[in-house]
Amino acid sequence: MSHERLTQARPFLTLGLVVAAWLVVPVAIKSFFRASFFEFTAPVGVIASYARDLQQYWTLRLHSESELIEAGRDLARLNASYALSVQQNTELEAEVGRLENLLRLPSHPDYRSEPARVMRRDFSGWWQRLEIRKGKNFGIPVGAPVVFTGGVVGRVTEVHAYTSVVELISSPNLRLAATLEGDTRPISFQGGINPTFGPARAEIEFVPLDIYASDLMPKRLVTSGLGGVFPAGLLLGTVTKVEPSTDGLFKTGEVQLDPRLSDLTEVTVLVPLNTE
Amino acid sequence: MPKNNLAERPGSLLESHKSYQPRVIFFYFVIAGLLAIVAAGLAYQQLFRTDIYHERERVQNQRRILVPGPRGNIYDRDGRLLVGNRPRFAVVLYLDELRAEFRREFIRVRKNYRDTGDKELPTSAQMEEIARASVVQRYLDEVNTILRRNEQVDSAALQRHFLRQLLLPYMLLDDLEPDEYARLLERLTVRSPLQVYTSSTRYYPYRSAAAHTLGYVSINPDIDSEDFPGEGLKTFKMKGTVGRDGLENVFDLQLQGETGGTIFRVDPSGYKINPPLDRRRPVQGKNLITSLDIDLQLIAENELTKTENAGAVAAIDVRTGEVLTLASKPDYDLSEFSPRLSHAAAADIEARKAWTNLAVSGVFPPGSTFKILTAIAALDHHAVESTDVIVDCTGVTRIGNRLFYCDNGRGVHGNITLRDAIAHSCDIYFYEAGLRTGADTLAAEAARFHLDRPTGIELPNETTRMLIPDTVWKQRTKDEKWFPGDTANMAIGQGFIGVTPLQMACFVASVARGEIFTKPTLVHRADTPTQHTDSIGLTPVQRTALVGGMEGCTTEGTADILTTLSSLRIPGLRIAGKTGTAQIRTGTGTINVAWFICFAPADNPEIAVAVAVQGDTPGENYGGGRYAAPIAQAVLRKYFEKKQNPSAFIALPKTS
Repeated sequence: MSHERLTQARPFLTLGLVVAAWLVVPVAIKSFFRASFFEFTAPVGVIASYARDLQQYWTLRLHSESELIEAGRDLARLNASYALSVQQNTELEAEVGRLENLLRLPSHPDYRSEPARVMRRDFSGWWQRLEIRKGKNFGIPVGAPVVFTGGVVGRVTEVHAYTSVVELISSPNLRLAATLEGDTRPISFQGGINPTFGPARAEIEFVPLDIYASDLMPKRLVTSGLGGVFPAGLLLGTVTKVEPSTDGLFKTGEVQLDPRLSDLTEVTVLVPLNTE
Repeated sequence: MPKNNLAERPGSLLESHKSYQPRVIFFYFVIAGLLAIVAAGLAYQQLFRTDIYHERERVQNQRRILVPGPRGNIYDRDGRLLVGNRPRFAVVLYLDELRAEFRREFIRVRKNYRDTGDKELPTSAQMEEIARASVVQRYLDEVNTILRRNEQVDSAALQRHFLRQLLLPYMLLDDLEPDEYARLLERLTVRSPLQVYTSSTRYYPYRSAAAHTLGYVSINPDIDSEDFPGEGLKTFKMKGTVGRDGLENVFDLQLQGETGGTIFRVDPSGYKINPPLDRRRPVQGKNLITSLDIDLQLIAENELTKTENAGAVAAIDVRTGEVLTLASKPDYDLSEFSPRLSHAAAADIEARKAWTNLAVSGVFPPGSTFKILTAIAALDHHAVESTDVIVDCTGVTRIGNRLFYCDNGRGVHGNITLRDAIAHSCDIYFYEAGLRTGADTLAAEAARFHLDRPTGIELPNETTRMLIPDTVWKQRTKDEKWFPGDTANMAIGQGFIGVTPLQMACFVASVARGEIFTKPTLVHRADTPTQHTDSIGLTPVQRTALVGGMEGCTTEGTADILTTLSSLRIPGLRIAGKTGTAQIRTGTGTINVAWFICFAPADNPEIAVAVAVQGDTPGENYGGGRYAAPIAQAVLRKYFEKKQNPSAFIALPKTS
């Protein structure tokens, strides 16, 4: 009878022993376990990511030659327009540099772009994160801004040996200083509490009282560059609603984010060249 | 082997249980009684005193944090912001979230001291204080790195804050620039105990414009908490503001914001436990739309500034009594009061004597502007008629034992009627008119126009020192007889008489409407009705003479520069005015006060203006026609230009 009871209680006993052991384990060992957990699990994620890439590759192989030729033509046109934009951008950069020298303005921090594949997406009401397939091995630092063709993706919050975690701008844990396009006054931008599969939204605070925006007259919200993390002028989203706060000092508002944020496959990390 | 004792004493055990001792039964009752008392006490405490204990428990473990609501804005009559709120960014540290860090640092500090082997170690409380300062300095260094500053923690202030206001955020740096605030916003994590904190402070886009009228606020450590739940709880209050002068003071209740705040449960050490039990956002106070017109206010102040002398301008809407302009110089820059006035700035204001709102608190003899009242009194009491020639002005007349001179026109007025006497401000005429009317009648007439009492405008410091003397007053206060010379002086607005510029503006507005009183107001309402009080009682002929004389003042009389000088002329506008040059005796000699009162258009009055400018050099001839009339003219010009083309006059605020 007592043997049977002991058998039944064994799982609880084991759990208790493990918990007790964990409590007396030195702090250094605990820290090591916490730090290495991600590194141990990362290869699984990386392999799964490569497997998905392989799946996509074979999916693309199934397209007909004429479809590929058509896609190739589209791509060539797109490349041509981008080449033109790059040329114009170079000229504008030179002009900005000349004016900055003339006015003796401090130079903006420069960035090196590091493209990275998205390994995993982790969306919940509490956080919205991406894991990318580059980490310390590519010199990615914590805090680096991450962008894509639609604007800002987020900021690197954790860097591991071969992978990094990016907090998306739709996450309530990310806050940055933004401005409305054409305005210089800083606004606080923070991700909202977003449903896992719903359209991503963010909130803005400290909006000056003379700013108006609505669904019919949306305004583009961009990074201010004042915070020192994100370069200025990167698109964050579209302000579709602002309303006065009860204290009468500012307005608060809602920002509609790019729907592509939820299915990104490729992002670019901006690695600062001259870190403070 | 011993025998069984039970066998020897059969039934002895049963016997002890069977018999009921009366003493035992007594104790049963005693115990039952005691138990009943305990039960009753328990029931009493649990059933009847439960609310009291619940309240005690609530008071013991709950705390309120109150945040004042921003004050309402103040606008001019066209909706332009005169006083608003500007955000004030600070970086704060929530000390109550650092309990574990404080403890760890305390252990480290204690260990370090013990390792030194010193026998005279600091006390435990001192080490706790050191640990707290050390932790806070670490956070401040984080801020220093982001903002590239080198700030140090004030240990004494930190200790005070920790002991008295633990639940309130501890201010590390205040009044951050927008770029500093942006940097912190981006660099500090969302869940950091370091946060950017926003409060509000008063913002004055026009800086010194209407400073005395708008007033200022000062810090109020005891904000109103009546409407916030949790009365009786230990409360931590953020500092608010209270109106100290001007409209900020009079309309303080309306402008005060609604207090917001949070109620937290706290642990035995006073650290708060999240989430809060109740939370309310502060709400901005109600806005106030004043009757002031900032365009007119700015032009009046600009013109006063040009004189480099102390003075005041009051302009009133004749129909409604709404005050369009209430200017007083010297004044002060209201933005210096935000967030608080420095000692140096206060001393400067004091030295310039700029605290006083001369428009409502400056009492001056009205000089010849009072002749309008003398004329009305004389006409009303039939002491003179409008067509009578009552004197032959030769420039001097004897009244009693004294010679009285005509200070205007150098004695060439000759035989003169009321109209011309007003236009040319003939003193001799008004000495005679005053004597014929009588001092007490003049005083009664002035009282009928409310010149003997405050106007009741919505300002806190309107003087009560205005004076309309009469024979009884002189006997009572000076124990002297009233002489005919006193009457003559009074008739031309000299002697003991004293009024404020606002009173004179109300007076001339009343004359413009043909009534006896204009109640001034600084509050604008779209539907303010035209004021109606008792009629002055003049016949049309008498009124024509009176207004004709006032109009003659600006066309041919003492203020003829308004029409003869092309730079001052306003084409098509008929102005009815009266100049005045009063004398004040000071320690250094007699100085003049230049007066001008007027209304326009003369035939259909809309606006009434009173200007008083005080000369600064004894003996200097500082006349109303030359110094005060052009100021009123500038106000009138702006008023009518704006009326013709309202959209062309939008005064832009100066950037702060």
